[in-house]
Amino acid sequence: MEKSIETIWKNGFLKEDSLVAPKVNNLYNQKSIHIIDKFKRMFKINLISIVFFSLGFLIVTYFLDLLITGIMFSIILMALVFINKKLLENLYKLDKGASCYEYLNKFNSWMSHQINLNKKFARYMYPMIFLSIVLGFWFHDAEGVYLGQRLVEELSYLIPNAPIYYGVPIILFLPFLAIFFLLYYFGGTIYKWDLNIVYGRVLKKLKTLLEEIETINTIK
Amino acid sequence: MSNDFYQTSIAPFSGIIIKICRAYTDSQEDYEDYYQEVCLQIWRSRNNFKDKSSWSTWIYKITLNVCMTLLKKKKNNRNHFVSDTNIQEQISESSAFPDENLNILYDAIKKLSEIDRAIIMLYLEETPYQEIAKIIGTSANNIGVRVKRIKTKLKKILDGKID
Repeated sequence: MEKSIETIWKNGFLKEDSLVAPKVNNLYNQKSIHIIDKFKRMFKINLISIVFFSLGFLIVTYFLDLLITGIMFSIILMALVFINKKLLENLYKLDKGASCYEYLNKFNSWMSHQINLNKKFARYMYPMIFLSIVLGFWFHDAEGVYLGQRLVEELSYLIPNAPIYYGVPIILFLPFLAIFFLLYYFGGTIYKWDLNIVYGRVLKKLKTLLEEIETINTIK
Repeated sequence: MSNDFYQTSIAPFSGIIIKICRAYTDSQEDYEDYYQEVCLQIWRSRNNFKDKSSWSTWIYKITLNVCMTLLKKKKNNRNHFVSDTNIQEQISESSAFPDENLNILYDAIKKLSEIDRAIIMLYLEETPYQEIAKIIGTSANNIGVRVKRIKTKLKKILDGKID
């Protein structure tokens, strides 16, 4: 006669070794490896996206006659990719066999180094991007003359006595310099916002994980 | 998680956790991950436990919630995430238990929907309908009807496979 499912269930668990629990000690190792793996994937995807974006932007600016912007923008982004690719290579060298606390701490050191380097870079990158946009529009063709030249002519007409430096009215330099230095000053902060938007969730998880490990170590 | 907490509050109920985790996983690696995640969630939620329900019911709830959440995540990630750790040891044709009939029963249970799996596991653990209803969030009558249907389904799947 066929056994009922209740009987199979009861008899099945009567045998020895039916219910051997796995060890729990490896969980944090796996979790830390998983989170850092996720970060590596995101970081890599981000870099690839920047390469494609800069190439696309270069093509678009060519058709919009803003090639100077496109070229400068691409060079800046490629430098960013180059620096971060080197950083990523170092991240891959972290030893997964180390204890999770050690692994997470090493990752944290790498992260601090990465953030510091990118913050420094951002202070130059954002003003340079701004400069690339200004130059792109300055040399944009406006009915046979450069747009910048036309702007200077218009301004000279409106303010004939405006002091001039290298053929450009100083009044034009002021807003440019203000924005340029503001971007330099706030470059690091802008980078931190960007970092939080892209990696905020992963970094928060990592922080929780480290806090948990520290709590666990203090509980008796 | 302290060893004391594990020994006093989780280990006595590890059987329940093992049985449920096995029903929601297809590989040894997943099973171990799910088990550990359940233990961690029990530890994390320990301060939210209220005496309204028993500790075992609390553990059932957490185990089922964790297993279903992880299974959903796994289904979502299956197509666009390839683990760079080791290749999983597949046990889809289950050999998790020493009893062959139990393995066949588990294979059949894994063919059920996630909720049906939870209901039948609780039923087989002799949990009263009223308590299953509380855990699942439905009425006891509904559970009675569902159990009958699930058993019929299981019998069909198992037809001729069990000695």
